[in-house]
Amino acid sequence: MTERTALELENVRRCFGSVVAVDDVSLAVAPGEFVTLLGPSGSGKTSTLRLIGGFEELDAGAIRIKGERIDHLPPYRRDTATIFQSGALFPHKTVAENVAYGLRMRKVERPERDERIRQALDIVRLQGYEDRYPSQLSGGQKQRVALARSLAVRPAILLFDEPLSALDLSLRLQLRGEIKRLHDELKFSAIYVTHDQSEAMAMSSRVAVMNKGRIEQVDRPEKIFHDPANEFVFTFIGESCCLLVRCSGTDVTDRNGQAIALSLRDSLPEGDSRLYIRPSRLKLAAEAQGLPNGLTATIHFIEFLGDVHRYHLKAGALEVFADHAGAIGHDVGALIDVGWRSEDMRVFR
Amino acid sequence: MGGNLLMTAQRRKQRTALLLLLPALVIVLIFFGLPTIFMARMSFNLHPDQRLFVPGFTFEHYAALLSNPVFTGAIWTTVKLAVMASFATVVIGYAFALIVWLKPPRWRLLLIGVALCPLLISEIAIIFGWWMFFPKNGLLSYALHSLGLVNDKISLMYTEFAAFVGLIYVTLPYCFFILLSIFDGIDRRMIEASADLGAPPLTTLREVLLPLTWTGLLVAFSQSFIWTMGTYATPSALGPDTLWTVGYLIQEQMLGKHNWPLAAALSMVLVLGVAAVMVLTRSLMPKRASYHV
Repeated sequence: MTERTALELENVRRCFGSVVAVDDVSLAVAPGEFVTLLGPSGSGKTSTLRLIGGFEELDAGAIRIKGERIDHLPPYRRDTATIFQSGALFPHKTVAENVAYGLRMRKVERPERDERIRQALDIVRLQGYEDRYPSQLSGGQKQRVALARSLAVRPAILLFDEPLSALDLSLRLQLRGEIKRLHDELKFSAIYVTHDQSEAMAMSSRVAVMNKGRIEQVDRPEKIFHDPANEFVFTFIGESCCLLVRCSGTDVTDRNGQAIALSLRDSLPEGDSRLYIRPSRLKLAAEAQGLPNGLTATIHFIEFLGDVHRYHLKAGALEVFADHAGAIGHDVGALIDVGWRSEDMRVFR
Repeated sequence: MGGNLLMTAQRRKQRTALLLLLPALVIVLIFFGLPTIFMARMSFNLHPDQRLFVPGFTFEHYAALLSNPVFTGAIWTTVKLAVMASFATVVIGYAFALIVWLKPPRWRLLLIGVALCPLLISEIAIIFGWWMFFPKNGLLSYALHSLGLVNDKISLMYTEFAAFVGLIYVTLPYCFFILLSIFDGIDRRMIEASADLGAPPLTTLREVLLPLTWTGLLVAFSQSFIWTMGTYATPSALGPDTLWTVGYLIQEQMLGKHNWPLAAALSMVLVLGVAAVMVLTRSLMPKRASYHV
């Protein structure tokens, strides 16, 4: 019989005093699935991970691994393995001894143990580093040893606690690719906590966006990006401009009541609304012609971001920014047309 | 030419290091080195009559230390008491430091405050405190009696046990702070990582915490040993009259028998004992000096 879920959270709740860190979270991870918990700091993603690992105690709900409840067990009796942000390698043990640790605790005997240590170090490409101490390794190598140490015990689920956030950018990208490759090869089940959305998008089978202790949306990365469930997800994932507008009758103004040159295909509901558009979907000047929605605005300032120029525009109290590949030949202070397609805009009240 | 420049740079670096070290070195040599040398010299002086000493050179005081059963007994008692008290101190201090390290920060200040208390009171005042605690009508006896643990009131005053407890109390705060500072250098995630990989608490203690705190344990032990070896007031005031420690004998030779050379020779025994323990603990320290890099 194959298990239906590797891990299952059911209405999990955790409070610290009066603060609800994890609020009624339910989530199921299928075997071989790589699920990312993505959210701003304080959103409860790390607390959720620590509840699974057994480092925090549950206030309500249930946690199951392969169908069996484990939330009453201490960490050392749970079939999980965590990769910590700091690596948390044992500094007094060599690389091989670090990797051996979990195997020894699980009573894996000598010939097999050595074989699994060799395999694990092979997988993370650290052959020949067996006798080094952690202080003799670079940050990236340390994290790879931590990964090998956790992989070696073949847990039911791997728990990643922002393992790359302490590394510099190029190393982060490299290790990100490596973890992705390992997951494709080994098909382990994993929960990965991060606040870096590109990390979440690049590696995950599914992403769970968390906010204030709750899961706002769980879905495939493409769905999260293109079809966000609500305003929080829309604003948290990717970049977006927000237009705060007020509608009374046929007049559309900014929040201060000043008229703005905004034309929309579909009329807005009466009262205040928030319009969200991604800066990459805003078309400028000539490209804006013929689009169903438009705004005339003044160029406030221009940023050069490498691939694109970012135009910061102002119309009344509205501030938007649009990305355009290359300069458009307008200077600061000039009036310019902005246009966008209806499907690129989301309206929240 | 380039090599020459490098040499001078290196030499200059060495000279800077020496200059920076100099003030401390001078203080240590003048205030600690010189008196020890004077004391060593004194231990070879003659003591033919009631005069404090007569300049000269003899090994007779050291010979007396090795042959007179009073002296050998005292040395043995002192070492035994110091070793036992140091072991107990390190065990208690380790447990206490571990608890403070593991507790959330809001407990920390309170517990550290408690540990500081004995340091704020003079040794003499602490001894008076024990005099309220150990005798037949003291606090301990009263507590044990009212709990029904003993039938008759008991006195532990003037026993080796009282001296033992008193010594632990004197050295415990130092031991605690040494160990706490070592614990504070350890990443607390280490414990979680160990548990995460399947190690129960006692295994984590043996496999992770003890190796990482081993150096601190040795330092705390030698610190306790030095204190308990040299402490004079506490064991004399709390122990039995027959509890002759080296500290007590030095006092007796110095003030009672006016035999300064012999007192100096006894003091040299303490110095050598301390030095021996320092060398021993140093040799037990791991060759890889620091893990926290």
